[in-house]
Amino acid sequence: MVSERLKKVILKVLKLGDFDLQGSTKAFQVPGWDSLSHVSILSAIEKEYRIRFKISEVLSLNNLEDLQLLVNKKVENAV
Amino acid sequence: MPFNSFQFVAFFFIVYCFYLLSSHKWQNRLLLAASCFFYGSWDWRFLFLIFTSITIDYFCGLKIHGSDDENVKKRFLILSILVNLSILGFFKYFNFFISNFTGLIDYFGLSIQPRTLNIVLPVGISFYTLKTLSYTFDVYTDKIKPARSYSDYALFVIFFPLLLAGPIMRAGELLPQISSKRKLRLDEIGEGCYFIFWGLFQKIFIADNLAKVVDPVFNSSAPYDCTKIILALYAFAFQIYCDFAGYSNMARGLGKCMGFDIMVNFNFPYFSTNPQEFWARWHISLSAWFRDYLYIPISFSKREWGKWGVIFALMITFIICGVWHGAAWTFVLWGAYQGFLLVIYQLFKTAPIKMPILENAFFKKIWYFSRMFFFFQLISIGWLFFRVKSFSQALQMLRSLAGFLSNLQFDLLSRAMLIDLVFFTIVLVIVEYFQHARKDLTILLKAPFPVKLFVFMALFYLLVIFGEFGTKEFIYSQF
Repeated sequence: MVSERLKKVILKVLKLGDFDLQGSTKAFQVPGWDSLSHVSILSAIEKEYRIRFKISEVLSLNNLEDLQLLVNKKVENAV
Repeated sequence: MPFNSFQFVAFFFIVYCFYLLSSHKWQNRLLLAASCFFYGSWDWRFLFLIFTSITIDYFCGLKIHGSDDENVKKRFLILSILVNLSILGFFKYFNFFISNFTGLIDYFGLSIQPRTLNIVLPVGISFYTLKTLSYTFDVYTDKIKPARSYSDYALFVIFFPLLLAGPIMRAGELLPQISSKRKLRLDEIGEGCYFIFWGLFQKIFIADNLAKVVDPVFNSSAPYDCTKIILALYAFAFQIYCDFAGYSNMARGLGKCMGFDIMVNFNFPYFSTNPQEFWARWHISLSAWFRDYLYIPISFSKREWGKWGVIFALMITFIICGVWHGAAWTFVLWGAYQGFLLVIYQLFKTAPIKMPILENAFFKKIWYFSRMFFFFQLISIGWLFFRVKSFSQALQMLRSLAGFLSNLQFDLLSRAMLIDLVFFTIVLVIVEYFQHARKDLTILLKAPFPVKLFVFMALFYLLVIFGEFGTKEFIYSQF
């Protein structure tokens, strides 16, 4: 399950009005989400949630569900 | 024993007969033994090197996964990186560094006797090093679980269809195919045979014949004829593509015949209209490797730099990609050129141009082909750095190209070069046009029977009459 807040950040960076983002969605399935925009998306998520990812965490992501779980874990640890 | 040799045909025929008769367990044992024999046929000493990498990485994978301590995990990851890069560094780059170092010392007026070694470059080392490294990286980031069976892991690294020049398949894709039972289907075997044939055609009919157009120009010395350089560059663009895509197609076909699903490594790269698209279509397994394990970590670590971080990461990634291809400054230049194209594209790319005339299907096509043609020129210039023998040759050829309008001479030799270029590439262009339009690599197999029969007979005729059966090595297997 991908939260509305996370979806909003991703769609804003990719300048997409609307796109069905599911937990199983992989980056390459989303228009404009390529290796070059990948870092911009992750930076925007860091800013939005005031968290900081490690490189190894970023490399372990397979789909949006992984990203959501990582964000949740980081937010919990930050509190 | 390259794929295009009669020894390989005999080798594969024997292995395949036993393969069909064996159970899954024995199939894997057979493939491991056959792969060792295949690799050992170049030089049996190479086997010690590859098994050093296999053993260290297998061990590191288990240790990384088995520990909860982040420091222990990191230590074994570093051990794997150090061992693999040391082996690659010594065998591929030692003499390059020594000769450059002594050159630098000479520049400052000091003189030392360089101690270079007569090192034989183990074939395929650049490919299997990236393969084993991706395994430890993926285990470290919890993307995959480590291989439990040593022999399965060894087969993943040394699997003979992919050993010399990839595709650099990841453990997550290939290991499950090794450890679980494979289904052999008649239609898949048919497709496999088609890929082997088409790959062989690309190599023997196209690439090796185009080499005869390319080599004399690059083996000659200055002054260069601008027309011949242009023709040789176009010919090399198709030669390198067919040499490498031919190998990848054959690897895919061999895999399919044995029930493996080998990834597509080339997806019509010359139909690209920009560098980003080109690198998503050319040598896909290598660009994905550099993207995942180099570009993303570098650009992510420099995310505070904004756009400059992306530029920095692109340039570093492509320069390393160039060096990976060969220990020479010309490859560094080629990598930097590719990085530069991508940076320029990133900085100036805009939203698609909306012009009323482009609503028309015909003009839309014209616009697409113009962009494709323009980008092909940029890629062909890049191949100059890849093919030249030295930095000074690159400069001399570029100088000659710079004055091309005043320097175009179309003599008899140029005409012969043009005829060869058209003759040996026209079939590829026609086949790829239809494959690309239908987005289907197996379109020839799906044609009506009379068409299929005619096309395959024509291709077979061309192959037999004009094919270069001199078992020329694949270019990329020398990296």
